[in-house]
Amino acid sequence: MITPSLSRRSMLSALAASPAAMAFLRSAIARADDLAASGLVGELQGPTMITDPAKWPTKFAEAPMLAELVKAGKLPPVEQRIPAEPMVWQPLNEVGKYGGTWRRAFTGPADGENGNRIQSSDKPLNWSADGSKIVPGMAKGYLLSDDGKTYTLSLRKGMRWSDGAPFTADDFIFWFEDIYGNPEIVPTPTPEMRPKGKPGRMVKVDETTVRWEFDVPYYLFEEIMAGDTAMGGGQAVRQAAKVSFGAYAPGHYLKQFLPKYSSLEAVNARAKQEGFENWVQMLHFKKDWELNTEVPVLGPWRSVRPINTPIWLLERNPYYYAVDTAGNQLPYFDRVQFTLAENLEIINLRAMAGEYDEQERHIDLAKLPVLLDNQAKGNYKVHLDLGFAGSDFMFHVNQSYTGDAEIRKWLTNADFRRALALGIDRDQLNETFWLGVGTPGSPAPGEIMPQSPGPVWRKKWSVLDIAQANALLDKIGLAKKDGDGYRVRTDNGQRLRLEVIAIAAFLPYPKLSEMVADQWRQIGIQADVREMERGLGFAKQTNNEHQLFVWNNGGTELLYLFPTWAVPVIPGAAFGPKYADWYSSGGTQGMKPDDPNIMKIFDLYTEAAGLKAEGRNHNAQEIWKILVDQQYGIGTVGQSPAGLGVRLVSNRLGNIAARVCNAQHCRTPGNSHPETWYFKS
Amino acid sequence: MLPYLLRRLVLAAVTIVAITLVTFGILHLPPVDFVTAYAAQAAASGTSISAAEADAMRLAYGLNQPLWVQYWKWLSMVSVGDFGRSFEYGRPVTEVIGDRLWLTVLLSMGAIVITWGLALPIGIYSAVRQYSIGDYVFTFLGFIGLAIPNFLLALIVMYFGFRLFGINVGGLFSPDQQLAPWTWTKVLDLLNHLPVPVLILSLAGTAQLVRIMRANLLDELRRPYVVTARARGLSERRVIMKYPVRAALNPFASTIGYLLPFMVSGSVIISVVLSLPTVGPLLLRSLLSQDMLLASTIILLLGILTVFGTLLSDLLLMWIDPRIRLGQLR
Repeated sequence: MITPSLSRRSMLSALAASPAAMAFLRSAIARADDLAASGLVGELQGPTMITDPAKWPTKFAEAPMLAELVKAGKLPPVEQRIPAEPMVWQPLNEVGKYGGTWRRAFTGPADGENGNRIQSSDKPLNWSADGSKIVPGMAKGYLLSDDGKTYTLSLRKGMRWSDGAPFTADDFIFWFEDIYGNPEIVPTPTPEMRPKGKPGRMVKVDETTVRWEFDVPYYLFEEIMAGDTAMGGGQAVRQAAKVSFGAYAPGHYLKQFLPKYSSLEAVNARAKQEGFENWVQMLHFKKDWELNTEVPVLGPWRSVRPINTPIWLLERNPYYYAVDTAGNQLPYFDRVQFTLAENLEIINLRAMAGEYDEQERHIDLAKLPVLLDNQAKGNYKVHLDLGFAGSDFMFHVNQSYTGDAEIRKWLTNADFRRALALGIDRDQLNETFWLGVGTPGSPAPGEIMPQSPGPVWRKKWSVLDIAQANALLDKIGLAKKDGDGYRVRTDNGQRLRLEVIAIAAFLPYPKLSEMVADQWRQIGIQADVREMERGLGFAKQTNNEHQLFVWNNGGTELLYLFPTWAVPVIPGAAFGPKYADWYSSGGTQGMKPDDPNIMKIFDLYTEAAGLKAEGRNHNAQEIWKILVDQQYGIGTVGQSPAGLGVRLVSNRLGNIAARVCNAQHCRTPGNSHPETWYFKS
Repeated sequence: MLPYLLRRLVLAAVTIVAITLVTFGILHLPPVDFVTAYAAQAAASGTSISAAEADAMRLAYGLNQPLWVQYWKWLSMVSVGDFGRSFEYGRPVTEVIGDRLWLTVLLSMGAIVITWGLALPIGIYSAVRQYSIGDYVFTFLGFIGLAIPNFLLALIVMYFGFRLFGINVGGLFSPDQQLAPWTWTKVLDLLNHLPVPVLILSLAGTAQLVRIMRANLLDELRRPYVVTARARGLSERRVIMKYPVRAALNPFASTIGYLLPFMVSGSVIISVVLSLPTVGPLLLRSLLSQDMLLASTIILLLGILTVFGTLLSDLLLMWIDPRIRLGQLR
C-alpha cells in the first residue's frame, strides 16, 4: 500500500536504536535518497519566461470560443486584445491545446483563496519557479532607486482589463486616491505604505509608469511588491472579502459607485435599490471578483458564476496579457469549475475517484497511502511539493503572557524553553503524522532559502536529549517533583501544568500535541492540550490568553513578508501579542519586552527595511540565530508537503511541473502558472 | 376551543420574541466575531489578514457597534421581513437559505415517509407477534440501527459505494448535472442520488419509532378493554386497529413538533458527511464563521417552526385522543 521508499524509511526507524544519534544520519541520507527514489518529489520546474522581444511571436491565435465571438463581431481580434508588450511563456513541455474545464473542489464562500491563488498572475510581480527570484508579472518590471526612496513600476503597453478597457497608471492612482485615500473604505492605512511611520506617495509618471516616493530608504518595498502582501498581492485577493488593498483597481468601472463621481445621495440611493445598506457596502460587493461577475479583472479567468453558489465557475479572460511561444493567447483551459463540498473527507474521496483534474488544496497528507493506491483507478498522479518553512507544527511560546506569574516566569526562561525543545522526539512525530516525508529540526527555514542561518541552526536545541533537558530543568529550580514524577511549581508546590491551545488545521494539531505532551512526561512536564474551534482559539491567542499556541510557521522563510509566526511585529502574533502591539504601535500600546534578545530582534527587523537585499538577508539570518538559540518558538518537523503540498494531477493534463514552489509568496499553485496547463486528451 | 387557540397563539408570539433575544445573546457569547473567525480561516488556508484589513472589515460589517445596537437593528429589520445579507455569502440571507430549502424539505419528507412507512407496520407486527422469530429479527436490526451512529453509517456506505461501485460520492447531483437546467435527466440524476441519504437519514429514526410503537402497543394490548373486545368476538384485526393502535399513536403525534424544524434543517451531521446541499451544513458553517445574520435567521426559523410544530402536535393529539381533548377543554 505504501510506496517502497516509505516502507524503507520505516525500516530505518526500526533500526534507529538511539534516536538522537540517528537523527542526523536519517535526515541526511534517508530523506534525500528516499524522497527522490519515491518519484513523488521532483525538481522545481515551471514555464520559461521569454523576455527578449526578438524571440516573441509575431502572429497570434486565440481559443475557438473567442474566435467565434470575434467572428460574430462581439469581440475585437486577438491582436488588438493582447498588449503590445505581452508576457510570453514557453510552456514547460510543449505548446498546449485550447479547451476543457479544469474541475476542482472548494468548500464555500470563505474559500476564496482557492480561486485567488489561481488568479495570482494579476500580481504586479511574481517569483521564479523555484521561488527564489522576483520576476515580471502583470507589470513588465521595476526599478528601485539607489537611495531606496523611489520605486518605479513599468506596465505593459496596450494592456487591457477583462472588459476591454485600457489598464494604465491611472488605475493605480485611482486606487491610491479614491480607494486607499478614503477612510470610509480603508480606515487604517497599511504599514507597508508607511516605512518608519512616514506615509509614502504614488504618482503617475506616464500612461505605463507609476512611481512610489518615500521619505526614508525603503529597499524592502521591492520584496513587498512581489509578495502576497497588501500592496503586492494583486486585485483578486486584496479586493475581495471587504478589504481594499492591492495597489490598483478598475477605476473606469468602480467610479460609478463612488460619491466623488456623482453624489452621496445618488450612490446611496443606488445602494438601497440594489439591496445594500449604503454605498460602502455596495462598493465592497462591486469590487469583489469572487462575488461580482461584472468587475473587470487582469487574471487568466474571470467569475461567471459567483462563489456564493454551489458551483463557482470561471471563464477565460479574453484580454489576458500572456501568450505562449507560438503566439496562442493563454490560458488554455476554457473554464475552471469549483464544486462545493461540505467537508474535506468528501473532497479527498472524490479526488481519489478522479473527479478533479488538479487539486492540491484540501488534500490530506495522512491519506497519502490511499491516494497512491487509487492512482491508476482515478487516472491521476500524486506529487509531493515540499515547503521551505522550518516547522509545519510548532509551539509558539507566549512571551507576553501575564495570566499566571509562575507560568510567565518559566515561559520567559530560555533554559525552560530549551528543555521543552530537547524533550521532543521529532522522529516519532515525523513517522506518525508526516509518514516520514518531513524534516525534523528547529523553526529556521530550509537551507536553500537565502535567509537560512545555516544547517547548524536547524539542529540547535532541536534534537531529542532527555538527559540534557532534565539537567536544564533541575538547574533552573524545577528539580522538585510530585509523586507521579511531574515537576512542581515553586510558588505553591502544586504540579506545574502548561496549557497548550491546539486547533485542527493543516495537520491534526491536537493529536500531534498530545503525542508531544506524552513525550514531555519523560522530562517531568505536564502539558494539558486544549483542542479549540478555530475562531475561538485564535481569539484567545490574539487576546494574549495562551501559554503555548500550536501552529506552523508557513511563510517565515521570507521573514519580512510574513513575520507573523516568527517575530512579534504584527499585532496579535502568538510570540507575544502584547509585545507585538508595542512594536507595531511604535511603543504607545502593549508591553515593552524586558528580554534584551527580543529588543535585538526588533532592532534588526526595523533596520532591515532600509537595507539592500544582501543586508536584509544578513539581518534575517541573525534574527533566526536568536530565535533558534532562545527557542521562543519550538520547532518539530517542517519542509513537508503538509500544507497545499499533496498535489493530485490528472494524467490527461500537460505542462505539469514535477514539483512546484509550495510557499506563501509563491501563491501555490499560482506560481506554477495554471494558464499554461492543458488537456492532452 | 377558540379561546384556547387564541391563548396558545399569543403565547407562541411571545415565545418567538424571547427566542430572538436568547438566540442573539447566545450567538454573541463567544469572544469571536465574524472578522476574527474569517482571519482564523484565512490563517488556516495559508494567508493572513492584516490589522488594517481587519479594521476595514469590522467597519464594513458594523461589528464595531455595541451589541444592543446590533440587536435592535436586526430586530427592526426582521420585523419588516428584511433579513439582511449574509456576511460570508454576500447575498441576501433569504436567497442563501431559499437555495437549499426545497432540497432539504424534499430529503426530509422522503426520510419521514420512509421512517413512518417502515416503523408503523413493523412496530405493530413486533408487538402483536411478540417473541416470534420476526419480532426477534426486527428487534435485533432495530438495536443495531439505534447503536450505529448515523454519520458512521454514512461514511461506510459512501466508502463502499466508491470502492465497489465507483458511484459518485456525496452531494445530490453528478458534477455534469450541477449546472444543467431542470430537465428529466437532471430529475433522474437527483432521484439516483436520493436513496442513500434518505435511507441513512431515516434509519435511526425508524429503529427508534419501532421500539416506541412496540412498547406502547404492548401496553395497550394488555388493557382490559382489549380483552373485552376479544371476548365479544371482534375480529383480531379490528380489535388491534380500532383502539390500541390509535392510542399507541400518541407519541407519533407528539413528535410532529420536532418534525417541522427537522424538515428544514435536516440532520446537520449527516448532511455534512454526505455533503448534501441542505440547510443543516449552512447552519453549522454560519455558526462557526459567526455569520450572524444568517445564523440568527436560521435559528429564528427553526424556533418558529418548533413553536408552531408543538402547537400543531397538541391540536393533533386532541383530535386523535378524546381523553386529551376532554382534559384540555375542561
